[in-house]
Amino acid sequence: MASLRDIRKHIKSIKSIKQITYAMKMVAAARIKKAQSSMLSARPYAFEMEKAINMLRCEMAEDDFKNSSSYKFFETSNPSGDIGLVLVTSDKGLCGAFNASIIKKSISFIKSAEGKKIHIITVGKKGRDFLRRIKNANLNFYYEIFGIFPKVNYTHSNLIAENLIKMYSEKKLSKVYFIYNEFKSMISQELKEEVFLPLNLRFESAKKHTGRISDFYFEPSKEKLLEGLIERYIKSQIYRMLLESQAAELSARMNAMENASKNAGELIDGLTLKMNKTRQAMITTELNEIVSGAGALEE
Amino acid sequence: MGKINLTVLTPDRVLISGLEADSLVLPAYGGELGVLPGHAPLVAQLKEGILKYKSGGKEEFLSVFWGFAYIEKDKAVILTEMAEMLKEISEERARQEYQRAKDAINMKGADLDLDSAQASLKKAVVRMKLAEIRKNKNI
Repeated sequence: MASLRDIRKHIKSIKSIKQITYAMKMVAAARIKKAQSSMLSARPYAFEMEKAINMLRCEMAEDDFKNSSSYKFFETSNPSGDIGLVLVTSDKGLCGAFNASIIKKSISFIKSAEGKKIHIITVGKKGRDFLRRIKNANLNFYYEIFGIFPKVNYTHSNLIAENLIKMYSEKKLSKVYFIYNEFKSMISQELKEEVFLPLNLRFESAKKHTGRISDFYFEPSKEKLLEGLIERYIKSQIYRMLLESQAAELSARMNAMENASKNAGELIDGLTLKMNKTRQAMITTELNEIVSGAGALEE
Repeated sequence: MGKINLTVLTPDRVLISGLEADSLVLPAYGGELGVLPGHAPLVAQLKEGILKYKSGGKEEFLSVFWGFAYIEKDKAVILTEMAEMLKEISEERARQEYQRAKDAINMKGADLDLDSAQASLKKAVVRMKLAEIRKNKNI
């Protein structure tokens, strides 16, 4: 049986762990408000952007559209080419299954690629470190960025988008996938794997060119406009993804840390009970000894 | 006379949402572009410059740095990479920024990023112009 001193030591160390986890929970809870609000304020921009592209695409004659320089973003020129992957994880651990689930998904993704080379852009340290350790897979690390959470801003997504566009055109990729966590609510995240490029999969629901000549004025030409818009659209989508992942990470951390604090509290309760019992047992034995010692003297 | 419903959006915030304006002047690619209620549908690319709008007899100014304007049925949506309200601009900072960018271009250092230096120069010019306007109008 553990001695009283051992138990006291144990309790003390668990108490300090509880303090840390509790503090981390509070920090995450404070940050998540901000993350959520920046997610909400980024939404209208992305929404209007998508609307504008849809409109522009409907306005363009099919041939003009196919000949424009932005067409490559809608339809891949090289369907049997390599694939791209953008993996968004966090920089730090202690956020429950947040990174583990993404890593699991990316393993099955790499397995399903079947020999095709995968060009990877990683966001966050955890994903990068993990993928670096994988052996005998056909991977190429194109670009990495970390240390951006929890203060994501638009310049980060600018950087990622520029590299993504460069990678897409340089390596003549057939598809680019995104794997990231989406913020569902304060208590749940959803793992997402989606095809980002080519864009036609995203705009499939858009109505095709209607043939009607509308009364819109365009300045400069439609092709130029689309070109500029597409690039910004990609940036805004990446920005949205980063914000989602950021909020999801914080909510995951908040929950993980809340559970950890709760568990620590239960452990402390159990140990305190054990400590009291041990102490009581000691007192009882001592009393017993005294009483029996006094009894022996009387006789 | 009708009004124009003006919305200005940047990636990270909503600057103006559904404001009823009497008129707008946009810094379009080919030059300034005035918009009055009942304007024909239009999609225009914007460069860096000053967005003016009149609302309730008062003239207001905004800096915008590249973007798009989308006008349809008296509804104007401005999507821009970056925008600032007049009151957010600091003249001192703009002046410093201008000087820095100018120096960078003049020095022609080995690691000079000409595009970004020119971009920040243009930004600084717009901000300084706005600061000038603010001074003149005393707002």
